[in-house]
Amino acid sequence: MESDSESISHGPPVLKISGLSKTYLMGEVTVEALKHVSIDFFSGELVVLLGASGSGKSTLLNIIGGLDVPSEGKLFFHGREITAATEAELTAYRRRSIGFVFQFYNLISSLSALENVQLVTDIAEDPMQAEEALRLVGLGNRLHHFPAQLSGGEQQRVAIARAVAKRPELLLCDEPTGALDFQTGKLVLEVIEKVNRELGTTTLVITHNASIAGMADRVVRLGSGTVTEDRRNFVRMTPSELVW
Amino acid sequence: MNLLAKKMLRELLHLKGQMLAVAAVVACGISVFVSMSSVKYSLEASREQYYSTYRFSDVFLQVKRAPEFYREVVSRIPGVASVNSRIVADVTLDVPGLDEPATGRLISIPEYRTVPVLNDLYIERGRYIEPGNPEEVIASKPFLEANGLSPGDRISAVINGRKKQLVIVGMGLSPEYIYEVQPGSFFPDKRRFGVFWMSRRALESALDMSGAFNDLTLTLAHGASEKDIIMRLDTIFRRYGSLGAYGRSEQLSDRFIVDEIKQVGIQITFLPAVFLAVAVFLLNMVLRRIVATQRDQIAVLKAMGFSNEEVGFHYLGFAMVPTAVGAFVGTLLGVWLGRELMNIYADFYNFAELVYLFRFEDVILAVLLSLAAALIGALGAVRGAVQLPPAEAMRPDSPVIFKHGVFDRPSLRKKVSVPVRIILRNLERRPWKAALSALMISLAVAILIAGRYTYDAVDRMVQVEFNAKHREDVTVVFKDPMPPSVAYTIASFSGILEHEYYREEPVRMRFGHRMRRQSVKGLQSSNGLQRLVDKENRQVELPTSGILLTSELAGILGVKQGDMLGIEFLQGRQQQREVRVAGTIDEILGLSAYMHISELDSLAGDAGVFNAAYLRIDKTKAGELYSDFKSIPGVGSIMMLQALKESFDELIAESMMTSTFILTSFACVLAFAVVYNGARISLSERARELVSLRVLGMTRAEISFILLGEQALLTLFSIPPGFFLGIGLSSLLAIGLSSELYRLPLVFSPYNFLFAFVVVVLVSAVSAAVVRRRLVGLDLVEVLKTRE
Repeated sequence: MESDSESISHGPPVLKISGLSKTYLMGEVTVEALKHVSIDFFSGELVVLLGASGSGKSTLLNIIGGLDVPSEGKLFFHGREITAATEAELTAYRRRSIGFVFQFYNLISSLSALENVQLVTDIAEDPMQAEEALRLVGLGNRLHHFPAQLSGGEQQRVAIARAVAKRPELLLCDEPTGALDFQTGKLVLEVIEKVNRELGTTTLVITHNASIAGMADRVVRLGSGTVTEDRRNFVRMTPSELVW
Repeated sequence: MNLLAKKMLRELLHLKGQMLAVAAVVACGISVFVSMSSVKYSLEASREQYYSTYRFSDVFLQVKRAPEFYREVVSRIPGVASVNSRIVADVTLDVPGLDEPATGRLISIPEYRTVPVLNDLYIERGRYIEPGNPEEVIASKPFLEANGLSPGDRISAVINGRKKQLVIVGMGLSPEYIYEVQPGSFFPDKRRFGVFWMSRRALESALDMSGAFNDLTLTLAHGASEKDIIMRLDTIFRRYGSLGAYGRSEQLSDRFIVDEIKQVGIQITFLPAVFLAVAVFLLNMVLRRIVATQRDQIAVLKAMGFSNEEVGFHYLGFAMVPTAVGAFVGTLLGVWLGRELMNIYADFYNFAELVYLFRFEDVILAVLLSLAAALIGALGAVRGAVQLPPAEAMRPDSPVIFKHGVFDRPSLRKKVSVPVRIILRNLERRPWKAALSALMISLAVAILIAGRYTYDAVDRMVQVEFNAKHREDVTVVFKDPMPPSVAYTIASFSGILEHEYYREEPVRMRFGHRMRRQSVKGLQSSNGLQRLVDKENRQVELPTSGILLTSELAGILGVKQGDMLGIEFLQGRQQQREVRVAGTIDEILGLSAYMHISELDSLAGDAGVFNAAYLRIDKTKAGELYSDFKSIPGVGSIMMLQALKESFDELIAESMMTSTFILTSFACVLAFAVVYNGARISLSERARELVSLRVLGMTRAEISFILLGEQALLTLFSIPPGFFLGIGLSSLLAIGLSSELYRLPLVFSPYNFLFAFVVVVLVSAVSAAVVRRRLVGLDLVEVLKTRE
């Protein structure tokens, strides 16, 4: 299908995906998660990937993040083929260029908020201060709390701080509000929007919640493993304006 | 601190119960390794040190009487470094405070201590003898201590039929008597046997031995052939009533020490191997579970950019830390245990200086061994953690595939309740895991059995040696062969109930190229006072013709029933004969050869002589009889069966108790660690499921039954194989600990099995109680909220 985004010039894409497919076994069932997906992402974009559960959006995100390998097709990051990378190159790619935010936060429960962020700043090349990252997400006063002592929204903000502290080029958020209530979810989206705006990080947000699409530069819809829609918002709403 | 390290330490703390169990198992294994290797090294070093400082001889020879100038002759044999001629005699002693007679071995020493002598004395208290005081003696330390005597005390001895007063001036030790036992005995009886060193001149005159000797010891030059020199000595001293020269390997005291060192060496490998194997298993089990519960964390770490190596090392740390703690504690425990064991050894072995040493190499080896165990245990789980693709790790584990098993046949299904079915399916689903867990519990049972096995074996030994085999109360050994008339003398003493005599001839046995110095005992019968009893406590008949050999001796010579064995008598007419091997007897102690006294008489010549008498006495007349014995000339030594038994009990019981106690405690640790870890891991795997069952209305008792029933079933199933493993382990132990000196019989009392059963059941019950407390304390809502 013809993408809207291609009519506007953005320079060379940060990510170029061509003909990506993925099938895997789940117990005794074979799942075809992605079918020949081709799409480009450009620098500084905030993209919302919409789709029902099982549409293949998480699989796509995982492959982009170097967490999974496609069964078929190629993925280029700044022209370098990630799908041909070795394990060590993939590790370096994740370490330098990718920031992940997960639906269930996935914080290390035995480490405090600050330590969870430091885990990343310790191994990154040019990170911001862990405290700074936590202040950025509004948690400057909760540095030494353990995950179990934080609310869901706070935990997700720690996860965002952890993801952005290394100043990644790509921020990948997998259902960041999926486990949160409306108010808290909005707070988290504000943080993501702020990171995208202030740091210029290319941000991909996965959600099944169509209302969130309003805050994006671009909206990509997936269904049954294929891209069914790719459109550009001419006006980006602030998360506080979103309603669901 | 590195944040991953911090994460690890906090999580280790959270899992402290399981980690402590692993550390305890490692500590047990390492402590055995460190204690045993330090004991081995200390014994070796003490022996080496003692021998070289006090110039312990290499070759020994006893003769009837040889002219002194042969000392010179021997010293000129190429390869002989130094020679010492002595007079040695066994005499009857009258010890103050002791009714029954004791035996003293008198050994001559030079009057002037000017030149270095072989088998020199270490004088712990008192002084060396003074020239011109023939009554002065230095007495052996164990004898003095056991009898409460000290330098300055007096003791009387019957030397060559004359009663003499000896003055003890010193308390000493010699490298020849590190293990001090009466000739013909295997166990020390410190009260009734002592070694005394007195002036050569005094002994020469007391025994009419001037210008002669009856004992020769020598050291060899570097590179000299012991075998060749022994052959030369045998040729030279043949006509002087030589009993055949022999090297250190046949010197009783050295033989005991060498065997002891060898046995300790066996224990260094055997127990630590079992413990480390269990540690490997436990670590594998625990680590697999940690990796399983941290699937999502592994994914996150990888998503953040941690490399496989970093993640791998992180999880390896979960194995290394408890192992390192175990190795550290085990080393300290091992050093302490080694020291305690050396104290026990000090009771058996009389070293001038028994030093306790441990080598850093051993400790380092122990640590390396345990870390290797940790690595092996962790490897599978860590590899799993590393290989897990992050995207997959982030998805929950796909549900385990359950299938209908044997217990799900419709006929059975109706009879078996749901909780029982859950238990059975779990066992059936992972049969290897269940089998391995059961095997580990079986190992604990096996160690318990093996620990008590030695107890049963020694019990059997006492039963055979002190009850079944010997019915006599006293054995009187004559210095020289006595004519048959001695029987009339003995019979005339009042209080003699039964008397029986035997002849004992030193011989050299040959079969093919094999040769062995040995003595042949000629018995009057095998169902009188002395019986022939094998280690299974079965009586064996004395053959009417031919020779009966201990199985071990037959093995050494390579003979079997029906073979013709060459026998060269070393004394008297020195006849060379051939005799048919009538059979073998599997005895517990030593090496022996038996034949009927009449056949021995006809083979050796000099019919009708006796070397010793077995006597059963009327206990009420014991006092009188003892003083009669003390006065018979020609009596070399007297052995009291009851006294030997008591001293054996006292000596062996202590070391037995210690080793049984240690093994039992270690086996308990093992059983607890295996059962507890198994239950904790089941709890962690199934908390959600069990809590769901609670929410659905099952009682606490019902869910406890599901969780602990599985463990109980495993434990019960592992006990019978554990019995068999224990028997196998004990057989290995029996083979490993057996030597020419003794063979451990393979016996198990029912009590042994019962003990192992009760201990394992108790330990399992305790671990079940601990786990049940956790299960019951689970917060239903919290557990249900957590994502599997």
